[in-house]
Amino acid sequence: MEYRDYYQVLGVERSAAPEAIKSAYRRLARKFHPDVSKEPNAEARFKEVQEAYEVLKDPQKRSAYDQLGSEWKSGESFRPPPDWGSGYEFSGGRRRRAPPGRAAGGEAGAEDFSDFFSSLFGGGSPFAGAASAARDHHARVEIELEEAHRGTTRTFELRRPQPQADGTVTFSTHTVRVSIPAGVTDGQSIRLAGQGELAAGSRPAGDLFLEVHIRPHRLFQLDGRDVTVTFPVAPWEVALGAGVTVPTLGGSVEMQIPAGAQAGQKLRLRGRGLPGHPPGDQYVQLKVVLPPADSAPARALYEEMRSKLAFDPRANWPRSSS
Amino acid sequence: MTGNAPMEAHVLDEGDWLAAGEICALCRIELHAMLELAEHGLLAPRLTAEGWQVPAAALPRLRIVARLMRDLGVNASGAVLALELLETQQALERRLAALERLL
Repeated sequence: MEYRDYYQVLGVERSAAPEAIKSAYRRLARKFHPDVSKEPNAEARFKEVQEAYEVLKDPQKRSAYDQLGSEWKSGESFRPPPDWGSGYEFSGGRRRRAPPGRAAGGEAGAEDFSDFFSSLFGGGSPFAGAASAARDHHARVEIELEEAHRGTTRTFELRRPQPQADGTVTFSTHTVRVSIPAGVTDGQSIRLAGQGELAAGSRPAGDLFLEVHIRPHRLFQLDGRDVTVTFPVAPWEVALGAGVTVPTLGGSVEMQIPAGAQAGQKLRLRGRGLPGHPPGDQYVQLKVVLPPADSAPARALYEEMRSKLAFDPRANWPRSSS
Repeated sequence: MTGNAPMEAHVLDEGDWLAAGEICALCRIELHAMLELAEHGLLAPRLTAEGWQVPAAALPRLRIVARLMRDLGVNASGAVLALELLETQQALERRLAALERLL
């Protein structure tokens, strides 16, 4: 595993006072918080910052970490010294590894810290305060818009801690195939009864909650169950009207552009959004694309329009500014 | 639960309610903090014979607010304000992107 320089992560000196560490943490947490941040890799950076603060805010952990010495470089190959942690409360042979990846990324917590952290301070007990209660799990699942439209299935590997009679913990893996119904929308949660963490004894397991996120689509923009497609058209298609073929999630459909349509206008295809009760609609927003005047005939046509159309695009401007 | 037949998932929608204890565990907040957030209008829980219940539709926003409170040390009103500003920002970004696609 790799050594982590927690002081470097927080951008403070090794001699920094607790207040300076707290202040650095607060600032960086705000900067990289995944719910707020626009920074690239915000989530990974936020976890690093959380992990560094977890160690440096705690006088015991910080002093133990400091005893590793200041010779280590971030990213250097690291193994804890044999006498590591003697004299500290978190020490001993109970270095429990973090429960490896629950269903795709649950809530960030101590269990998400690095191997480096776990090897020094243990994984944080996943059972703290929950010895008997079944625990619900929450995970995030990303699907494509097409999958939301037609429904899809996902397979999850769930790892459940199994406390053994001798006090150690093993993990059992089980696979769940989940059918995600058509018409699920972005941010919606789905629930799988009895698929959360098993309780001690014979209590029923908790539930598994999946928060669905629909990935951005190249063509369609999603808003609730409605989708919008930006549809490029020629000036004569909006001026004279035209029958066009428009892509929808359920396949192409024929649509009539009415004569006299304007650039930016939205036409509605009822019920062509995500299925549901009621289903969403698809909006077709017209984007007028001008043909280039890059040939003699094209220039002649533009010149003819200029001379024959009494068209003033600034007709509505106040007189003085034209 | 292996096998070929996938489990049918239940999509939580407007009509679903969750027990307060369950939603608190999912969001890792205490019941009193959840009730304080209700005072700020983030959710409208109801008291039943089985205890407090929360509309399932509130879950995504409640999770964000709970994370902001826990990770950034902001209080309930600050976290709700931050959430509302984030949502306003996202709505504006969506509108801006829609307009830019017309250019």
